[in-house]
Amino acid sequence: MEHNRSPYPDAVTFQGPRMLGICSLTSSHRNTSLLVLVTSMTYLVAGFTAKKLLRSVVSQGLVKLNWGMLCLLMNTSAADLPTKYDLFFRIQLAINVQIPVEYGGLGGKAVYIDTEGSFMVERVYQIAEGCIRDILEHFPHSHEKSSSGQKQLQPEHFLADIYYFRICSYTEQIAVINYLEKFLGEHKDVRIVVIDNVTFHFRQDFEDLALRTRVLSGLSLKLMKIAKTYNLAVVLLNQVTTKFTEGSFQLTLALGDSWSHSCTNRLILYWNGNERYAHLDKSPSLPVASAPYAVTGKGIRDAVSSHHKRARVT
Amino acid sequence: MAAAGGGGGGGGRATTSGCGLKRRYAPHDQEEETMNQDQSSKEDWCGRLWNGMDLLKDVTENKHVLPTGLEGIDTLLGGGLRQGQLTEVTGPSSSGKTQVCLHSASHAAVKHMGVVMYLDTSNSFSPSRIATIIDGTNDLSDQRGFDLPHKERLKTMMRSIVCKSVFDIFGMFEVLHQLEVSLLNDKVKSGGRKICLLIVDSISSLLAPIIGGKYPQGRSMMISVAMILKKLAYKHNLSVLVTNHMVSAGNGAVKPALGESWKAVPHVRLVISREHGSNICTATVLKHTLLASGRTAKFVVPS
Repeated sequence: MEHNRSPYPDAVTFQGPRMLGICSLTSSHRNTSLLVLVTSMTYLVAGFTAKKLLRSVVSQGLVKLNWGMLCLLMNTSAADLPTKYDLFFRIQLAINVQIPVEYGGLGGKAVYIDTEGSFMVERVYQIAEGCIRDILEHFPHSHEKSSSGQKQLQPEHFLADIYYFRICSYTEQIAVINYLEKFLGEHKDVRIVVIDNVTFHFRQDFEDLALRTRVLSGLSLKLMKIAKTYNLAVVLLNQVTTKFTEGSFQLTLALGDSWSHSCTNRLILYWNGNERYAHLDKSPSLPVASAPYAVTGKGIRDAVSSHHKRARVT
Repeated sequence: MAAAGGGGGGGGRATTSGCGLKRRYAPHDQEEETMNQDQSSKEDWCGRLWNGMDLLKDVTENKHVLPTGLEGIDTLLGGGLRQGQLTEVTGPSSSGKTQVCLHSASHAAVKHMGVVMYLDTSNSFSPSRIATIIDGTNDLSDQRGFDLPHKERLKTMMRSIVCKSVFDIFGMFEVLHQLEVSLLNDKVKSGGRKICLLIVDSISSLLAPIIGGKYPQGRSMMISVAMILKKLAYKHNLSVLVTNHMVSAGNGAVKPALGESWKAVPHVRLVISREHGSNICTATVLKHTLLASGRTAKFVVPS
């Protein structure tokens, strides 16, 4: 596939082999060295890496998103271009779900529902290549064994396993989610549904606010049912707005309290100085925690090395 | 006058319902007959008539209190969730409502109080979290079965929590109807114990898509669900715990969702909130049938 070579060098050096498909989310106070390998099909592990095999394991926790809804909050202001870091998160999820089971992933397919049109295929290809390179780097012994498995590890296969829907209005969004149940009945190996900006079409030009609340809560119940019936994870992305209360500006979730009530877990991505952080705000089984991460040419990785990171776009 | 009396008398002869107006014009013997019929049919319908002493005896002997396992809430509620009553826990997002439900369920399981039925609408029932909570309280419990190995004890405890996912209001009606039928037929669940606690995590998510707008069907369904839950609580001596969320009330304040009609439904209402980034939550009593409202307490959700 023809694509422009990224400006990032190919030989990006990391400090050790990385185990893909394991998310690390840690609290700033805890320094436990717990690592759990997730291979069961009921758990989908979100995007980015955790473990250094050779070095000692420092400050790790684990986030397992099992069939529930994860609501990701992006720290974007109202009128700017889709900034790159949130895009990577969604794409990283769509790619990571396809890691074959023998390498620790789930070997499933992904459904990507795009409302804004910010799905950049070249970047997906790049991340898929980076993911494959890391797999091969981490499991070098299996290189000789499964030559048939090798053929699957092509970026083209990863791209072919992403089902992409592009919707342009809120009626189309409701229609796609209604259709999704039938679609998932036919394609049983989908393991994740990513909805890019579920609230985009509901934020502007929606006159009847009570109707908006009803429609959105109906949508979230349908998505919950899909997540439970077909045993997959649903990831929704949303935006953050500012609210002026008691003399200070506070960041709150767009679309209000009833929407924030309907998700099972909530993860907030934000900048802290020059570091990107992810903060687990709501979860039924895990305590509140945050962890740094970095966006590199290969996708999202732990914030270990300071080179090859994308700078903050202000 | 005579025509009216005659017409009324004719009407009175035909009636068998307890309509007082018609009875006045009925001849005397027929009046007694209809009244006796009314009495027996009334007894079949609503059970026997209670007097105050019966009620007091029933309350002291049968209506126990199920502690939630979280100390602050238990002191606020005067012991815990009362049997026969509907308790509502409301609060803003991520304030600990699901944790209160999970703790009540595990506490009821650990103390072998009976079967817990957990109706989950947001996929937030987490068996690993329940196991962690049970493990946390297990050292203190000296209930029967202490000679069994730890895993066996955990299994028997977790088996008494039944979890069902409901994703729309009609599914909810069906589940409650099935529960009612099986309780009426006196079928005991999972191991010969009766159900003692019914938890509906987030009844407001089920009702949010139908409430509002100009059609009143949504509100009537909400009131039907409320009536069924209270009937179950009263007839079968359960405590019912539901959760609700908050909506904005204008001027930056928040109020519990589901509107004015819902306010009269629960017997006890609690509002909880959590400070940002800590485990300490505050609970306030919004409404209570026995104790004063407006009292607050702090409680900690153990991790």
